[in-house]
Order: sequence, then C-alpha cells, then structure tokens
Amino acid sequence: MFWKYVLKRVFYGILIYIVLVFIFSVLFNSVMEQTLRAQIEEEIRAEMMGLDSRSTQQIQSFVENRRLEKYSQYRLDKPIFERIIWRTWSTLTLNLGKSTAIRSAAGDRDVWAIVSEKIPRTLLLFSTAMLVDIVIGIWLGLKKAQKAGKFLDKSTSVGTMIVFGMPSWWLGMILIMFFAYTIKIFPSGNFHSTPPPEGIAYFFDLIYHLALPVLTLVVLGFWGRAFLTRNIVLGVLQEDYIMAARARGIPERKILYGHTMRTAAPPIVTMSLLALLASVSGNIVFEGIFSWPGMGNLFWFALQQNDVPVLMGNLAVTTGLYISGLVILDLIYGLLDPRIKVGGKA
Amino acid sequence: MRLGDIKNSIKDFWKEFRKVKSGLLGLVLLGLFLFILFFEPLLLPFSEANKRWKDITYWEDNPASAAPEWINLFTSKKRAVSQELEESRLEEKNAGTVRIIEETFVYDYRYDVAPSDLIFKASGSGNVTVIMSVERPDGQKIDLMRKPMEIQEGKEIRIAIDKTSKSDVLNFLKKLNALNGVTTQTLKTTDIIFSKIENSVSFTPDPLKGEYRILVSMILQKESDRIDSTSMKVAGRVQGILGTDNSKRDIWSGVLAGVKWALLIGLLTAVISVSIGVIYGVMSAYLGGWKDSLMQRIFEIFISVPLLPVLIVMSAVFKPSIWVIILIMSIFYWVGPVKTVRSMGLQIKEETYIEASRALGASNARIIFKHMVPLLVPYAFASMALYVPGAIVVEATLSLLGLGDPTIVTWGQLLQDAHSGGAMLSGMWWWVVPPGLAIALMGMTFAFVGFAMDKILNPKLKTR
Repeated sequence: MFWKYVLKRVFYGILIYIVLVFIFSVLFNSVMEQTLRAQIEEEIRAEMMGLDSRSTQQIQSFVENRRLEKYSQYRLDKPIFERIIWRTWSTLTLNLGKSTAIRSAAGDRDVWAIVSEKIPRTLLLFSTAMLVDIVIGIWLGLKKAQKAGKFLDKSTSVGTMIVFGMPSWWLGMILIMFFAYTIKIFPSGNFHSTPPPEGIAYFFDLIYHLALPVLTLVVLGFWGRAFLTRNIVLGVLQEDYIMAARARGIPERKILYGHTMRTAAPPIVTMSLLALLASVSGNIVFEGIFSWPGMGNLFWFALQQNDVPVLMGNLAVTTGLYISGLVILDLIYGLLDPRIKVGGKA
Repeated sequence: MRLGDIKNSIKDFWKEFRKVKSGLLGLVLLGLFLFILFFEPLLLPFSEANKRWKDITYWEDNPASAAPEWINLFTSKKRAVSQELEESRLEEKNAGTVRIIEETFVYDYRYDVAPSDLIFKASGSGNVTVIMSVERPDGQKIDLMRKPMEIQEGKEIRIAIDKTSKSDVLNFLKKLNALNGVTTQTLKTTDIIFSKIENSVSFTPDPLKGEYRILVSMILQKESDRIDSTSMKVAGRVQGILGTDNSKRDIWSGVLAGVKWALLIGLLTAVISVSIGVIYGVMSAYLGGWKDSLMQRIFEIFISVPLLPVLIVMSAVFKPSIWVIILIMSIFYWVGPVKTVRSMGLQIKEETYIEASRALGASNARIIFKHMVPLLVPYAFASMALYVPGAIVVEATLSLLGLGDPTIVTWGQLLQDAHSGGAMLSGMWWWVVPPGLAIALMGMTFAFVGFAMDKILNPKLKTR
C-alpha cells in the first residue's frame, strides 16, 4: 500500500503549502499592493508620454480611466479578503508578478523567470555538499561508534561541539580571505569564469568554482552527521539481538555493517537529510558571501535593490522547495522503514 | 516535587555532570561570558561604545583600519602605537592684553612605521591663533600650521595634522630641495615628519627615531578669551587589543558590547521557545484524541516553514526591533522539542500515578503542570542549551543582511560592516575573525553544556 501512503503524504504537503502561501499573502498583502500601485502609476506615466496634443482635462480623465482599468485588472478595487485569496491563487499558479529592478539573464522582468533560473544552481551547490558531507559523516560516525569512548571518538565529538554554533558564512568569509585573496588558489565568487569556457572546460571551471563553497559546507557539516550516526549506531549496538549475534561468534565487522546498519540506516539517512534540508534554509545567506548566483544570493540582491515582488516570489518558491524536500524525505523513510506505511504516524 | 527533592536531584545531577570534562569546560566559558557581561563597563576601553557606536565623531581620534597592537610582537617592522602625549612644559607669556600660551609635547618615536595622525584638541572660548611646529631629533624644525580659530563655549577645536599640515610639510620639503616628485596626492604628512630627509623620502620612508618635540603656541587677544584644557594624541598604525575598523571604531569594544546581546538573544529565544514546545508537546500527548490530531496538524504546518527565508522577508518588510526579532524566532523555534516531548509524554501518561491523580479528580491543568512537565524539566534544560547557538546565528545572519536592529551593537552587525567594508579583500583579519569567533565560542560554550547534559539524560549514549 505504498502508493496510498505516497498519495496521502503528497496531498498533505500540498495542503500545507497552500496554508502557508495564504498566511504569507495575509502578512505581506499591504506591502505587495503598495509596490503594485507604484508600478501601475509608473506604467500610466509611461503611457502618458506617448500622448501629446491633448488638453490637461483629457489627460486627467485618461489617467483616471487607465488607473481604474489597471486596478480592476489587478483586482485592487475588490474587497480585501478577495484580494488576499486572489494573491494566494496567483502565487500558487506561479504568477508572481513583475520585479521592480531585477531582471533575469534574458532580460525578463517576470519574477518566476528570475527565480526559476536560480533554482538549479542552488540545488547543485547544496546537493554536492550534501553528498560529500553524508559520505564522510557516516563513515566517520561508524568509526566512532566502533571505538566509542576512545581517542578518535572523543576528539571528533569535541570537534562537533566546536563547530556547533559556527556560522557557515563566517567560515566562508575567512576561507575567501585566505584562499581567494591572500593565497590566490580559489576564485572569490561566482559560478563560472567570465567569459565561461566551452565544452568540457566549462565543467572543470564549474568544479573549480564549486570547490571552496562546498569545502566550507562540508568542513562544518560532517561533524554533526558523524555524531548523529554514532549515537544511532551506538543505540542499536546495545540491543539484545546484537548481543546474541556477538554470542554466536559473528565477526564484529559483519555485526556492524550487516546487523546494525540494517536497523540504523533509515533514521541515519532521514535525519541526515533533514538536517541538511534545514541547513539549506539556514545557509541561504551563505551563497551571498560566495556570490554564488542562486536563490540565497537572490534574497540578498533583492534586499539591496528593495525589490519586494522578487523577495516574495523567492520566499514562496523557497518554501515550496522546502516542503517538497520534507515530503520526499518522508517517502524515503517510508520506503526504508516498512512500519511507517502501515501505521501512518511516526 | 518539594524543595528538598529538587535540591537532591540537582546534587545528583551535579555529581554526574562533574565527570564530563567538556561540560565543565563549557561552564568555565559560560562563566567567562557572564564575567564580561557583569563587568562590561570596566572592561570597555571606550565607555560609550554602546550608545555611540554609529556616531563617527566619538571615534574620530582613532586611526582607521589599524591592526591590533600585539602584531608588533610578530613583525620586524614595528608600527607606531596609539597613545596620548604627556605635556612636558607649559608657559604663559603676557604682552599687554595679548597672552601667549606655549606648550610642548614630547613624543618618543621608536617605531619603524610612522603614526597615521597627530591630533591636537583644545577647549575654552573665544578667538585663538594656533601655531604649531615640530622639532625633530635631527635638528630640523617643521612649521605645521598657523591659523586663527574660534572656540565656542563648551565645544572643542580639533586639529588633525595629517590633513591640515599637508601643504606646510610640502613646503618644508621644497625648502630643502628634497621633493623628488612628491606631490600633494602622494604625500603622507606623518610619513615625512617622522622620516629621514633623504632621497625619495616619501616613497621609501626611512624612520627617524628619537625624541620629537611638538610645540604649540596659542595666542589669545582678548581678556575674555581663555583655554581650559589641551591634549595631544598620536593616532598610531596599530591600536588596542583588536584594532579598528575603517570607520575608526575600536573592534574590541564592539565585541565586548556584543556579548550581552548575544546572551540575551540566545537565552531568551531558547527559554521561551523550549517552554512553549515542552508544554505543547505534553498537552498534545495528554489530551489525546482529536485535540492531539489538531495540535499535531498545527505543529506540522509550523515545521514546514523555512525559518530563515521567512525571517529575512519579515524583517525586510516590518523592520523589527531586536525584541520583535526574538519574538518571531521563538514563534518558529518552539516546534523543535515537540516531537520528542510528545513521545515522552505518551509514556508518562500511562504511569499509574497519573491515573491515580485523575481518579482523585485532579484537573487536566494540574496533572499536566504538576505531574508531567516537572519530569521533562531536565530534558528541557538540555535542549535550551542546544537552542541558544542557533538563535544567535540566526540573528547574526539577519544582521549580516543589514536587517538587524540598528540601535544595538551585535556581532552580526560587526561582520556586516566588515563584509560591506571590504575587510576580506584588504585582508583585515582583525575585523572579520573576532566577531565570528565570538559567535562560534558562544555556540561552543552552550554546545559543551548541552551535550554534557544530553549525555547524562540519555544513558544509552554512554560509552559501553
């Protein structure tokens, strides 16, 4: 009955997204409408430039007519509740409006066009970091659990605590200072050189630009992953069936990778993914430090330009991606741990 | 729980806690931060740093972008340190109604890199003509300035040699035929004052060490004119424990001032959110049925919110003060402990004493707050400790984006200034490293304490 669970979870995710977008619409309606009105005035002024040889009276009535037309087009003349519902609906259908200052690479002012071209870059950066992070973290975590309480375990646990409250963007600033400006071995930002090289060289150029941000994220991230893995594995190692397996004389290696990992894998995988999902949301500013032109950098840029529609659109898309991440995570968990599908509740 | 029980359980807890070395280290660090918190006024080198952080006039006598003083220990070229000069001689001459006050300041210059500025200040009232010159160890005398000035009652006049005496110093070089292509653009006044007069003096300044005597004469014309106090400061190339930023602010003062805000933001957010979370989780577990389902749905909506992006947009739109930021953070942070607390609550709910008190007719509120929540207090403290660093980092991140509360000094704001001031590009590590290190250290402190508590509360995590 996995598909039923999938349907339920996806439906539920969509429902939550709708609720959140509605809340955002309520919260930010007034500031969005303010921006929209300013945009309408600007448009009308531009149209007025095209009109000449008309009396002031005619121009006056033209402006008023146009304003009324525009207002009804954007439903600014409707009651507030209807406006909010309309805003929610247009956000859900990715009608995110027009930006005030920022343009997409193609020169488009449509907010969705601007945001959507950043999504793959953010995904690329964080999924690369995630992959490296998980591999190192789980490997180290197993080593720690194997020799719990010994030197390696203790010292790396201290490492976990040392980086616990360290902002990734600060470490990024320091690494840029040393590796990009003092010893010039890494680029200081962006995701390719200008002009971007062609063919296979583009790929290597991308990796070269990816290296420092990924390194920063991994250096901070894998400690936590290792610590988590260690705790889960250590918990499993104290189960009776492990003791029974040991009593039967099964080699320690086999116990660890065969018996323990089978039980420990689902929580490790999901909790790692969950922590990393949270870190994507938490590290969103990180992109700005590295001038990595993703969604986080867009937040920064929109703030500097005071571009409200882009800010809102970016928030809606980020939230959508975050919720999809959570849904996918639950589905993976359901796949790994059959008990979830039946009970439905975690 | 009675007072005696609490005392005993704390004693037991301490006995366990003492064994965890990292936890003790955390406590020591926490003590250090609390020490700074309580003795901040005594520790601050610039006592008004909190109130006047963004007031450039308060910092104007410092050198800009100066490195910390202690780097002189590690470099072969010693850089001049900021200091206030002692006045060695004061003479007052009278010539009819005209009075001349002559002051001499002695500066013992023993460095390789000249100071960045000499700043003379005087307070009093009336009109005064200030004449300044410097006698160098090689016997040369440079006239620095001669200018009539007006001092307003209660205000000071401030003369910064580096700017004021540019042309005078140029004239001095001209007179000695040692110009060698030095122009007003390439000239650094103090470099010339404190260097040997040789070829291309300003291009490779060769320091002239020894005793400099700076003579200041103030001519007062009228009876009512007076000078109350004077001072002479040397703005060096290195200053203080952590140097200065590009707006001449003392970074050590900023870092110290940030301690209380970091503690406040972290602790307040953690206490509020964990308290709400624990009570919410217990209620959800105890009430059960449709109430539990409803509460879980609400919880799921909150947990699906990407905190930082939402906070960024909210701060950008509403421009909140630090208190509102703390409130918003608490609104999103409480979801953290709910899941664990609920599962713990479900276990506690089945205990017989809960059933007994229900049979005795105890109200829901009484059972929840009197019998269930106290059992979760240790867990709550452990998670509070682990929530502190997150809240501090979130505030720092908001500040980095320029969305922090502008009326206070936080570590995030220091880093924002550093980032926008190009500290990374110009290699001003003393501006970038300390605030972030402070954040990391604070995070580490609470992580040490929190993990230690976690270890005691979860015996399963103990090493075999």
